[in-house]
Amino acid sequence: MSLYSVEGILVLDSKGDRIYGKYYNPPHSVSDEYAISKSLATSNKIQLEFEKQLFKKTHKKNAEIMLYENHLVLYKEYTDVTLYLIGDGNENELVLQEAFDAYRNSIELVLHNGVDKKNIQENYDLILLAIDELIDNGIILETDPASIASRVTKAPEESVTLDLDKGLLGAWGFAKSKFQERLQQGL
Amino acid sequence: MSTKTYKKFENAGSGDLPDKMTVYQDCMNTFNESPVNPKRCRILISRLLRLLSNGVAFPENEATALFFSISKLFQHQNDALRQVVYLAIKELSGMSEDVLMATSSIMKDVQNGSDLVKPNAIRALTYVLDESTAFSAERLLKSAVVSKHPAISSAALCTSYNLLPISEVTIKRFANEAQEGISDLKQFPNIPYDEHSLLVGEFYPNSSYMAQYHAIGLIYQLKKNDKMAILKLASQLADSNTLKNQLAKVQVVKLIADLINRDPQLFNEFQSVLFAWLTTKHEAVQIEVAKVISTFALRNQRLVAPDSFAYVVSTLQALLTVPRVSTRFAVLRILNKIAMVAPERIALCNPELETLINDTNRNISTYAITILLKTGNASNIASLISRISRFFHDVSDDFKIIIIDAVRTLSLNFPQEWKSIVKFLMDVLKNSEGGLKFKNTVVEAIIDIVSFIPESKELILENLCDFIEDCEFNEILVRILHLLGKEGPYTSKPSLYVRHIYNRVVLENSIIRSAAVVALAKFALTKNDPTLKESIVSLLNRIANDQDDEVRDRATIALRLIESADGDNTNVATELIEPKYFYDLPSLESKLSNYLNTNDDSFKTAFDSSSVRRFTEDEVKAIELKRKQEQSLGATSESSTEAGTKKSKLNDKTENNVFGGSSVGEDEQELLNAKYAEELLAIDQFKEYGKLINSSKSVSLTETEAEFVVNGIKHIFKDYIVLQFNITNTLPDVALTNVSVSCTQEDAETSQLEELFSIAIDKLLPTEVGACYVAFQKTDNLVIEGFLNNLIFTTVDINPDTNEPYEGEEGFQDEYEIDSLYINAGDYVTGSFIGNFDTAFDELPAEEIAVFNIQENLSLQEVIDKIITNSNCLPLNNTQFAPSDSNSHVLKLFGKSVLSGSKVALLIKMIHSSKGIALKVQGKGEDATLCSDLVNGLM
Repeated sequence: MSLYSVEGILVLDSKGDRIYGKYYNPPHSVSDEYAISKSLATSNKIQLEFEKQLFKKTHKKNAEIMLYENHLVLYKEYTDVTLYLIGDGNENELVLQEAFDAYRNSIELVLHNGVDKKNIQENYDLILLAIDELIDNGIILETDPASIASRVTKAPEESVTLDLDKGLLGAWGFAKSKFQERLQQGL
Repeated sequence: MSTKTYKKFENAGSGDLPDKMTVYQDCMNTFNESPVNPKRCRILISRLLRLLSNGVAFPENEATALFFSISKLFQHQNDALRQVVYLAIKELSGMSEDVLMATSSIMKDVQNGSDLVKPNAIRALTYVLDESTAFSAERLLKSAVVSKHPAISSAALCTSYNLLPISEVTIKRFANEAQEGISDLKQFPNIPYDEHSLLVGEFYPNSSYMAQYHAIGLIYQLKKNDKMAILKLASQLADSNTLKNQLAKVQVVKLIADLINRDPQLFNEFQSVLFAWLTTKHEAVQIEVAKVISTFALRNQRLVAPDSFAYVVSTLQALLTVPRVSTRFAVLRILNKIAMVAPERIALCNPELETLINDTNRNISTYAITILLKTGNASNIASLISRISRFFHDVSDDFKIIIIDAVRTLSLNFPQEWKSIVKFLMDVLKNSEGGLKFKNTVVEAIIDIVSFIPESKELILENLCDFIEDCEFNEILVRILHLLGKEGPYTSKPSLYVRHIYNRVVLENSIIRSAAVVALAKFALTKNDPTLKESIVSLLNRIANDQDDEVRDRATIALRLIESADGDNTNVATELIEPKYFYDLPSLESKLSNYLNTNDDSFKTAFDSSSVRRFTEDEVKAIELKRKQEQSLGATSESSTEAGTKKSKLNDKTENNVFGGSSVGEDEQELLNAKYAEELLAIDQFKEYGKLINSSKSVSLTETEAEFVVNGIKHIFKDYIVLQFNITNTLPDVALTNVSVSCTQEDAETSQLEELFSIAIDKLLPTEVGACYVAFQKTDNLVIEGFLNNLIFTTVDINPDTNEPYEGEEGFQDEYEIDSLYINAGDYVTGSFIGNFDTAFDELPAEEIAVFNIQENLSLQEVIDKIITNSNCLPLNNTQFAPSDSNSHVLKLFGKSVLSGSKVALLIKMIHSSKGIALKVQGKGEDATLCSDLVNGLM
């Protein structure tokens, strides 16, 4: 009974290409080097093949949940993207469903204008932050979409005054250092 | 910025990935700018992360440079920037060579950051700490764990969980604080409207109490070796009402499952809680409880009342009609597992399952069908099959394959219903669309039916002849031709098949032609019919002019073989075309690779193939049948090993036979045995003992949670017996030196064994496994003996810095009593297959009868499992499963002696009554002593 229940999060586009993908591997675990290098979590090649096959199995199939190569896969298709959550085949299906709902709903929350490929690419930072607040190394961190969204910061505003402040400070610092240099040389 | 790079950014928005070098350059320039431009930095970081997420990797020096310049951004106090900086740090920490430079900035944030970035900072600690620095975060993590802010507390618990493998000692120091996290219901603090919405918009957190879930997970990992502590934790959590989070509840159910798997008697204690939670409003909890009870009940039938089980099934039945797809999916998976071993118990759900066949979700409908096929009985198979054929053509290949597999199992279980099944399979083979994989599955199912249900042979072969007239897949054609060649000669009218096969020679490509030639040759060689042989010879003569080399060669060889076969009967030809025995492929492989590796005399001695296990055709069939039956069971025992094998190491693997009939471990067990035998034979003293005749399965001689876990294995040679003890040191900070086992015969005076010597283990560090051996000389007789065993060793404390014992320390000599090990008649027996048990039983000369009464509270299945393990014989006619609806059972076992090869058969009648179980064992064998020893030593 491990807390590491989620094995990966994916966003694929309508052709099955990856827009976002993250596979989790328990950090700091000491296991067989060989097994790790061959596993889904670390080999990009295996991942791409996995995604290709997975997409074939899920595209326009309207199944929501399935068992694929001993992984439980939950997914939801939007017009031109599909969200996936991959978990261990022995995990409780509804625990993963909880996590998947949180994933889907929080993304719907942070992307005000609906979930589509263009929106996801333009607000990539928001997606990244939401997923980061959802899963930590495969541990389900939070399942309430509003709580997740409440921790995703918007992009900072360009603030002119601040820059000016910094500029003045910078100028002063520069003058100070030059002055010190002169003093030292003089000594 | 040049127009070129500008264009690249344009593309970035439209879907293509940004250019790697451009992003790298921009990052390096912008991050090092002063003043920092947070908006631009955040855009660049997310661009960089997009690259990383798509599998683009940076070389180590570039990754380090990026990491370094990103850590400079810590100077800027903007939470929106800080959050993405943490994302980048996490991603880059794996590639960069030095991550320490960020540690102090992160720790500063953990202490003084705003509530918004604190959790991000805490979670980043996982990536920058290692064995040597983890202790420095103790105070920070501890105060974060007790924080009133749920996000901070959760982050600290998760980070501690992630850091466990490298700093268990540090984290144990705040185990108490973590435990408080379970009962402490943390609410999100109110955040002033302005400040918050400026940063994140109009979202407000709801308290979901996830920290409870994380805390339980962490505490379990810290205490998992301490059964009492886990027990206490589970009962506290089960009784109180503190758990608000459903994931936390699921976790507690898993905790209970872990406990009752270790000690089935505890089920009673938790029964009421489990059944109470079966009706909670959280479906996740209901599913988990149902899963736990059903797997437990199937394994420990007598501990769960039939009523309780029925209650679980009816809960599942109700859940089949809920709208949520994943719930129905989960329920079907559980029902499917139950259906594999006890299909009659879920017959109740059949009406719901039948409606689900038409579910729009194909995963669900396929599961429903396969379960129905399993619960099917002789009376409704035909109607089920016709139901399937109705919708079969609409589903995709994958589902077709699943359904065909289920039909195949059905055909093995209900051989008498083969007609409708064969009709169905032939229909899908001939008429449905599908790829190679699907057709291949169908053909495999058909081949299975042919080999296990002889009556079906003629009908199937005739149908296959029709099919090959119009088959597009070479692979399948070749398989069918092989099957025709193998089975065809024994049918009533072989000439029919010869004609069909010859048609292929005329019409098909060279691959198929060669296969057809071999098939034809078999007809000529195995069928003693001169006219048939003559016509085949003339056909082959014609083929011998084929344009393809391979076909010509095969035809010529076949002709020569037929010619030579005219003389005597025992010749090379039949040996080649119809081998009497087959090698055990895995053992052949390991022996061959061993031969290549120990190349002592540059291959002057030939490979000794006699040491490889060989099977006759009957035995091969027995093994295949067994494997197929177990495959269907595999899924149930998967759950018995799911607890451990995946994430932990070797000791779990040897442990899984604790749960009795775990069949998945069988293959592993064989590999393990081969490994032990190899290790044993590599030891000089044992080299002169000759051939290792038999090795027993490993028997555990201690509790699995004892300080030292010991497993015993008995190796039998012609004149010697060697006992092997595998010892695992589970003490965390003590090394054992000079470990040996002293074995005394229970009855030393009359013993027929003489102890020769023992080999001790020099040193056993924590978690290490070592083997020590004790060798005995034995007489020619079957020696049956018990041994009282004592583990003798010297303990030495370990220096935690070097992980080696302190120098010069002498340590304490100590003893530890372990269970006795018995050598019984079963160790001289190995399972063997016989086609017709009843006739063979009557023919064997010696007879022995014994009656046993078992007072202990065991179920029939447990007794059966025990008898099979004790006798080492192969259960036949599917008698290894106790019926769940009857109190009596007949078990048929067959085996042969490993010393002399004499056969022995056991017929065991058992009746379960209120007083216990009465057994009547009737043994027959060629060797009277073996037979009587086996019968009398059975229980």
